[in-house]
Amino acid sequence: MTSHVGRLYAVALVLVVFFLAWALIAARPWASAAPDPRLKLLAVRAQHLQREAKLVNALLVARRTQAPAPAVRVVNLPPITITRTS
Amino acid sequence: MERRTFRAMGTEIELIGDGGFDLAESEFHRLESIMTRFRDDSELSRLNRDGELDASPDLVRVVELALDARERTGGRFDPTVHDALVAAGYDRTFAELTDGRLRDGRPGGGDVDVSGERIVLGRGVRLDLGGIGKGYAAERAAELLALAGPCLVNAGGDIAVRGGAWRVGVEDATLELSSGGLATSGRDRRRWFRGGREQHHLIDPRTGRPAETELLRVTVVADDAVEAEVQAKNVFLGGPTDGCAYVLAVAA
Repeated sequence: MTSHVGRLYAVALVLVVFFLAWALIAARPWASAAPDPRLKLLAVRAQHLQREAKLVNALLVARRTQAPAPAVRVVNLPPITITRTS
Repeated sequence: MERRTFRAMGTEIELIGDGGFDLAESEFHRLESIMTRFRDDSELSRLNRDGELDASPDLVRVVELALDARERTGGRFDPTVHDALVAAGYDRTFAELTDGRLRDGRPGGGDVDVSGERIVLGRGVRLDLGGIGKGYAAERAAELLALAGPCLVNAGGDIAVRGGAWRVGVEDATLELSSGGLATSGRDRRRWFRGGREQHHLIDPRTGRPAETELLRVTVVADDAVEAEVQAKNVFLGGPTDGCAYVLAVAA
């Protein structure tokens, strides 16, 4: 009788250990979780927006700086570009 | 110092500077997609088709600049000469123009109302921003290039500079420009035949026909490329008397 109960406990224990091991292996704790592609896109978008924000800020600073009056003079050197009827 | 050239807005664009070329080139193409009248899906085409539009900040700004220029030039610069340009035959990109029948053009002075982002055109009024769009785009591109250092943008003759000293050829002379903008308007280019007569792209808003003036071309240096473009047309259309009187009055 005692050995019979003991065997039952042993079988139950083996089953519990088996399912626990199965659940543990199925969870694949050694594999890193695959990132959600939408999160990746959001991160790229956030970086893009940060770059644009920096650009806009730089442009605003430049616009606040008073541009000097146009200064022009005739020179005797070859031009680097030409103007023509646009 | 590097140089890049590409085509946009129906002309060759030249960028000279230390960097930021991709941004500046993208800006030209973006603004062209908004302001061209040769693409059905541009904002300007939609505005001309529907008579009203909730427009992007750039289109609103350019239309405001054009209306301000019309006010300051007594109507010699006018963005509402679209139909007169089309009647004169400039109804497709310049490279595609052919001879055809000449029609009477509609004079300028059309009603345009800008309120916030809403632009409303009067009945039958359509806009052409060809007289100001390249200058505006040159300024926007120069702003971007200037973040990397001194630069020059040449949009088919409309020039914007930031910093440095830039030698620009004007016929036989060379001007050294250190800031501001420079533009040339005239009847020596962008000419075509229509109805057996030579036409050009500078419409006199008073008559709705290509301007008849003794001047061949006018080059103006101003605070920026937009103002240079506006005043070059203003002086050209004013002719040797009124145009030159205006220049002398401004210079005084």
